[in-house]
Amino acid sequence: MEGMHWALLLAMLEVSRPSGIEFRHVHSPSARKHLPEAMGGGVALLDYNNDGLLDVFLVNSGQLGVPRTEPRFWNRLYQQNRDGSFTDVTRQAGLAGSPAAGYGMGVATADYDGDGFTDLYVTNFGANVLYRNTGKGGFVDATTKAGVAAGGWSASAGFFDFDNDGRPDLFVTRYMDWTLATSQACGSAPKVYCPPATFPAVANVLYRNLGDGVFQDVSTRSGIAAAKGRALGVAFADADDDGHTDIFVANDGMEQFFFHNRGDGTFTERAIEAGAALSGDGQPVSGMGVDFRDYDNDGRPDVVVTTLSRQRYALFRNEGGGVFGYHSLLSNLGALSSIHSGWGVAFADFDNDGWKDLLAAQGHVMDNVQQLDPSLRSQEPPLLLFNRKGRFEESSLGPVVPGRGLAIGDIDNDGALDAVMSVLGGAPVVYRNRPGPNNWLQLKLKSLGARVTVNGQRQEAGTAGSYLSAHDGRLHFGLGTATAAEIEVRWPSGRTSSMRTDQLNRVLTIEEP
Amino acid sequence: MLATLVTVVLAAQQTLPPEVMKHVSAAADAQKAGRHDEAIREYARVTALMPDLAAGHVGLGGTYMRKGDFAGAIAPLRRALELNAELPGAHQMLGFSLLAAGYAAQAIPHLEKVKAHDALGIALFLAGQPVDSIVHLKTALDQRPNDPELLYYLGRASGMISKQSFDALQGQYPAAARTHQLNGELNATQRKIPEAEAAYREALRIRPDLPGAHLQLGELYAAAGQWVKAEAEYRAESKLRPGDAEALFRLGNAMLEQGKATEALVELKRADELSPNMPETLFALGKAEYLAGNPDAAEKYWTGLLALENQTPLAAQTQFSLSTLYRKRGQTDKAAAALAEYRRLRGGK
Repeated sequence: MEGMHWALLLAMLEVSRPSGIEFRHVHSPSARKHLPEAMGGGVALLDYNNDGLLDVFLVNSGQLGVPRTEPRFWNRLYQQNRDGSFTDVTRQAGLAGSPAAGYGMGVATADYDGDGFTDLYVTNFGANVLYRNTGKGGFVDATTKAGVAAGGWSASAGFFDFDNDGRPDLFVTRYMDWTLATSQACGSAPKVYCPPATFPAVANVLYRNLGDGVFQDVSTRSGIAAAKGRALGVAFADADDDGHTDIFVANDGMEQFFFHNRGDGTFTERAIEAGAALSGDGQPVSGMGVDFRDYDNDGRPDVVVTTLSRQRYALFRNEGGGVFGYHSLLSNLGALSSIHSGWGVAFADFDNDGWKDLLAAQGHVMDNVQQLDPSLRSQEPPLLLFNRKGRFEESSLGPVVPGRGLAIGDIDNDGALDAVMSVLGGAPVVYRNRPGPNNWLQLKLKSLGARVTVNGQRQEAGTAGSYLSAHDGRLHFGLGTATAAEIEVRWPSGRTSSMRTDQLNRVLTIEEP
Repeated sequence: MLATLVTVVLAAQQTLPPEVMKHVSAAADAQKAGRHDEAIREYARVTALMPDLAAGHVGLGGTYMRKGDFAGAIAPLRRALELNAELPGAHQMLGFSLLAAGYAAQAIPHLEKVKAHDALGIALFLAGQPVDSIVHLKTALDQRPNDPELLYYLGRASGMISKQSFDALQGQYPAAARTHQLNGELNATQRKIPEAEAAYREALRIRPDLPGAHLQLGELYAAAGQWVKAEAEYRAESKLRPGDAEALFRLGNAMLEQGKATEALVELKRADELSPNMPETLFALGKAEYLAGNPDAAEKYWTGLLALENQTPLAAQTQFSLSTLYRKRGQTDKAAAALAEYRRLRGGK
């Protein structure tokens, strides 16, 4: 208990300005209020060169209809140096320009080809791009061979292993059937971005990894394409503990999707039956970002969905048996979020007290919302909520910006989780966290979807979640004042491992026996 | 109106010379056929041949009205009433014509004479007499409860009275607590939140027991998502006015928003006692009971609400809440039925 108080005082995210990250997101907003211009772009924390230091990849958007050849439109990869500074390695890594790609949105990460190096999948309005990490400091465009260009308007994407074959499969959310030709603005004076229902809903895409660098589109066969939505965020977890990873999709302005994995290569969309489609009062919410982790340490993954202002962020507590309960009110998340508009979101234990806190990037989607409602803001500080045994308390954090993507990871390997938030039309914000007196443990596992329990806390291996973004793949566990860790792993193969260690405050690599 | 006109004309026909009678018949035929200009010419000949025949002028005025030329109808109708001041149809027609042509004040005595409450109410409002106007509009609405014109003018008249009262308040008592409260309301309507808050605070400084001001401050904070502050204001209001069900309902709701279900129940039950069976209170009570872990009590409140109203958006929310409750209990059939009803009320998926 004493440790927790110390943690409250000491553990604090601070804005840092690491040398070398000169990125500025370019979205080229137009008077015609093209919707994609309000939505980008994502951020990933990954160790692309396996030097033990997290690097930062930032997705740029560009200008609709214009090839991204100009350097100011490029996505950027910043390699972390030993001294904590960063070097822009975009050009030498083969990531400069994206002439074939469209307007940039998000990023997903995984070692899809099993060569030990993390690859990148970048989503766009237009064709998506899979960058295979060569392991020699560079990437090559492997989209055509892999068959994962998707097309249309893709938003978030994530790798997960839905068929437990050990190969990362790929889920791509698609927002809506929108084109420059069908684009329209709404309102008269001022003109505003149209609500999502103005444009037709579309299906998401599921690619099965066949090995040898090739994917197969199984959207229809799996049942994923049967549910058309307006999807922005995606996160994965085994909700009902049946050994098969399920999918939660944040939809904008309609029912959310919960795709239950039937274990035979097919999914059933059953959010409404599971009690996770709508708010507690039966209202649709504007789902943006999503995370799918156990926030109350009951061993079951829960869902948080960020929404537009006056809707309350939706917290669906997993009550077992495939049923969720709407817990925005009881957790106090509703009261703390009701006026905010959220995007990237993550449950992460920032003070290492053993309870996952909540961080969300914020800012209303309408850049001129203040003219319509002076109590709302297109630029907001992120929301940092500390988790006090399942009930949230607010903490202050800056700066006031139009936040969008959010990725979590321990950038400086000091045992305190850091974060990077992407900013619409601006420079990203890097948050450095000071370690407090509490203990911690980070686990490195190769298998996506491996279920890990440490001293009763549960997490599943993966990098997906949030909005347009990808987290560090290491699993971080705050341990409070515990002096030892009981670790249990259930691998996707069904095998289990267990161990105990009193060597805490370190990164531990666990491999399937 | 037309019947009156025809009666007058027919009554007159019995003593008319054949030449005049010919034009009266021609006018009537043209009018029936919708040839208004021709009818006007025929009636003009009638009035030229018999300038003292009031019915002729009534016919001419009525034809102008049928043509939609209300300004044109005024002169012949006036002339008719000069000749015979006791023609009720002519008063009604002249009143309508004057009103339609924008001479509301001049229309009033004619409409009063025939007790045409609908037009009289409108004329009184347009003539700047909203208090008298409301009496006649409400009488007319008793006959035609959903008439959009009447509803519109009743709203306008009420608003004008409200504005006149507020103008007087602000003009004569600029420093009064009620004036600051009013300023708060006006600022809140325009979403000038800091100004509204300051005005309410000033009102309460002047008069700490001012009814409604804490409630309004609570609404301001609730709209801004500041639930702790909203709760404090609602609590202050309900302390000042313990018999105010709305303050207690809002206090309970503010607590619910913060997840304080058990505490909210106390206030919501008090609100329900003071003002029983308010659907919003019943819904909130069900929600509080459900969150407090009392699904049976929640079900009772929600089904009670549905007995009062079952076709509204609140009924849809209630059906959804019931479907969640039944699903959690494992009553899948009831859950599916409630969900289907929710979907029906919401108009599909």
